[in-house]
Amino acid sequence: MDDLLGQARAGARGAPVTDGAFLELRRLTKRFGDHAAVRDLSLSVPRGSLLALLGPSGSGKTTTLRLLAGFEVPDSGSVVVEGQDMTGLPPAARRFGMVFQHYALFPHLNVFENVAFGLSGRGDVADRVRTMLELVDLPGFGSRTVDQLSGGQQQRVALARALAPEPRLLLLDEPLSNLDPALRDRTRRELRSALRKVGITSVLVTHDQDEAFALGDLVAVLRDGELHQVGTPPDVYERPATEFVATFVGRAGVLRGEVVEDGRVRVAGGPVWTVTSPTPLEPGQAVQVIVRPEVARFTDSGGVAGRVRARTYLGGRAVFEVETEAGVLEVEAAARAADVGDNVQVSAEHAHAFPRQEPK
Amino acid sequence: MKRSRGGLLLTLVLIWLVVYPLALVFVASVRGEAGWTLEHVRAFVTQPQEWNALWGSLWISLASVVLAGVIGVPLAFVFERLEFPGRRLLGALVALPVVMPPLVGVIAFLFLYGESGIVPRVIGVVLGLDRSPWRLHGAGAILLVHAYSMYVYFYLFSRAGLARLDESMVEAAASLGASRWKTLRRVTVPLLRPQIAAAALLTFMTSLGSFSAPYIFGGGFRVMTTQIVNTKLLEHEELAMVQTVSLAVVAFIGLWLLQRTRGTRSVAVMSKGQPPKAQVIRRPLARWTAAGLGWALAAVLLLPHATLILVSLVPLGSWTTQIFPPAYTVGNYVALLSEPERLRPLVNSLWMAAVATAGVILLSLWAGRLVVQRKVRLAKTIELLTNVPWAVPGTVLAIALATMFSVHAPAVGRVILVGTVVILPLAYLVRNVPIAAGSVLAGFRQLDPSLDEAAVSLGAGRVRTLVRITVPLLRPAIFAGAALAFVTALGDFVTSILLYTFDTRPISIEILSLLRQPDIGSAAAYGVVLMLISAGAMAIGIRFFR
Repeated sequence: MDDLLGQARAGARGAPVTDGAFLELRRLTKRFGDHAAVRDLSLSVPRGSLLALLGPSGSGKTTTLRLLAGFEVPDSGSVVVEGQDMTGLPPAARRFGMVFQHYALFPHLNVFENVAFGLSGRGDVADRVRTMLELVDLPGFGSRTVDQLSGGQQQRVALARALAPEPRLLLLDEPLSNLDPALRDRTRRELRSALRKVGITSVLVTHDQDEAFALGDLVAVLRDGELHQVGTPPDVYERPATEFVATFVGRAGVLRGEVVEDGRVRVAGGPVWTVTSPTPLEPGQAVQVIVRPEVARFTDSGGVAGRVRARTYLGGRAVFEVETEAGVLEVEAAARAADVGDNVQVSAEHAHAFPRQEPK
Repeated sequence: MKRSRGGLLLTLVLIWLVVYPLALVFVASVRGEAGWTLEHVRAFVTQPQEWNALWGSLWISLASVVLAGVIGVPLAFVFERLEFPGRRLLGALVALPVVMPPLVGVIAFLFLYGESGIVPRVIGVVLGLDRSPWRLHGAGAILLVHAYSMYVYFYLFSRAGLARLDESMVEAAASLGASRWKTLRRVTVPLLRPQIAAAALLTFMTSLGSFSAPYIFGGGFRVMTTQIVNTKLLEHEELAMVQTVSLAVVAFIGLWLLQRTRGTRSVAVMSKGQPPKAQVIRRPLARWTAAGLGWALAAVLLLPHATLILVSLVPLGSWTTQIFPPAYTVGNYVALLSEPERLRPLVNSLWMAAVATAGVILLSLWAGRLVVQRKVRLAKTIELLTNVPWAVPGTVLAIALATMFSVHAPAVGRVILVGTVVILPLAYLVRNVPIAAGSVLAGFRQLDPSLDEAAVSLGAGRVRTLVRITVPLLRPAIFAGAALAFVTALGDFVTSILLYTFDTRPISIEILSLLRQPDIGSAAAYGVVLMLISAGAMAIGIRFFR
């Protein structure tokens, strides 16, 4: 298997090598007309790790990927790989592999010809194609036509095709978004295992938080072309840098509160909760308090008072939507802990607080 | 938006080939030996016959639209929505008038319904008349030919629209309590509006430019296309210019008005829905009635083709008063293929159409690359320019090219090509720019842009991407555009009559001179050959289009 790993391999995955960045995005900006799709974006990715660009549609994540690939030219900033500036290079000269959202398999070529497309001029085309098809667990599929493949198989052929020419960097544009949910889970595991075997530095674009967390060593959260946070999945989930990150990543309730002292916030004029925040908080400051459903619990007294508005079952447990004076909370609890319409009190062991933005 | 030298170059080429010649015609219509003058315009507007010809062109075109629509749209519904024995075969046969080049269709009608045609002879014998029960001439004859050859536009466009209609829309209307009639009136037909409007536009422009039918059947009834050619052949240059301008103006106004009724383009395109299923007619009587009517219709539609083949087997001078020709021979075909002078027009037409088609496809690929893939700054201008020849009748374009390329003035981009072998292929090319570019550009738009990007990201250069990915994927669009362009060029009559030389005379001109001799057997044999080659080219085009 080692022969297919190429030069991109470095160390075991899951423990990214951190000695200097392999890929660097330096202050990238891209405008379309008046609209800045990407604003002053800087990121660095260590060799062999996978960066997931996560954000809602219109956040600039796809533009960022296209800037990386060279399909778009940045208005300013640069893309650097191993210290070499790639910004002016045409896509064909970058040696980056790409897996497209709709796979972009060439419909008039068969599987073998698709995978071999990037191998022109090499002597070992047949061997290399066979190795790649084995890697994605499709041995013997070479003579199939593209329309004979299922969605998951097409995705894997797209991956094999992108990896075949031993690219320095792999770019994946929403690689799982075209699959139905049942298939998505399995394909995600297969993708993860294939990328692990190859150990290639990768950048993945997704709007699906589960996908970003399952595949990414690092997750960068983007909104409106700006980077809100980059970090490991636990970092981003447990220590969100902005209110947007806290609410976009995972489920969360949002309440209005007021700072008592740094680390302690009075919620809805009632109980005082312990909070973490990215910046020190001033007493008296108005804040948004973000509570994850799994740390919120019903309590008999001393909590925030509210009324159960809805209940969504998750097997034996349920998420309750609780409307309070200060906002809507979500509480995960045993399915029979409360009924719709009940008056309840909610407290939280831990919450995040962010200075409240004045409405613009 | 990218600046591009290619974009600028293509724009200039198109302006030179399309806009400049038309502009020269406009200038010539208001210029005399002593500078600017309205003298020719006055000569035009003070002549009632000029107004009559212009009015004739206009009302014939509008009437053709109505007639063709009344025949074509219901036929589309019948063949798309009802299931009866023979539906598939008949549905294909109904489109057959499309393989008849205009002049060939006209002479087939002449042999079939003309004064000495087969149908009047049969009726004469049955009713004991000593002369033909009617004369095939004037506006009625022109309309008959137009309806026959142009309902196909409505039929094909409406059928395509119906086939792509999302059944769930019809079901939604039904679930909201709408009756079948209301659903048809409020949902189905409005959804077909883009297709019907496109067919109307095409029919209007084709009728306005129609030359063969008025030329052969017009008699005293004048339309502007025949008027222009007559004036030009009488060498009243200036008057011909004003007439040409008048027809171009009517065409532009018609185009503009019809374009406004077109509405949104792709409302009827389904995303994921199912096309409606054809309804099986269950009652046996109704089934067989439908089938019987269908076959009768097909017989009527195929009569001109059959007549043409029959007449092509008539030896010279043998058919006089009998209902059907008394003697048959394949001699006309043998002569056509074995005598070099007879073979010449066929060879001429083939090579000129082939060269024009190759040229126009290359031009279209260039336009597609610049407009769709590279989105150059002049993209919109380029696309507009490729549509201009469509908006002007063939006569107008032929006159424009004849004017442009009859003067030697290289400094202003004019050289003498009239009278050389170059002019006809060039004219065919220019005339077919809209057809070929339309098809190829649509093909480019259907290409997933990420296929191109995928090739590039795998290290393929521009040439390799073009050869290995773009062109193979565009093959259906290229073949469809090429087939249409080739067939149009091969059957062209109006451009040819103004620009041919004896050495480059194409089939249509030869047919005309044979009709005058009169050697109807040989004329029909050429017609059959033309029809077969056209049908073959269309079959290839459609095969790869799927």
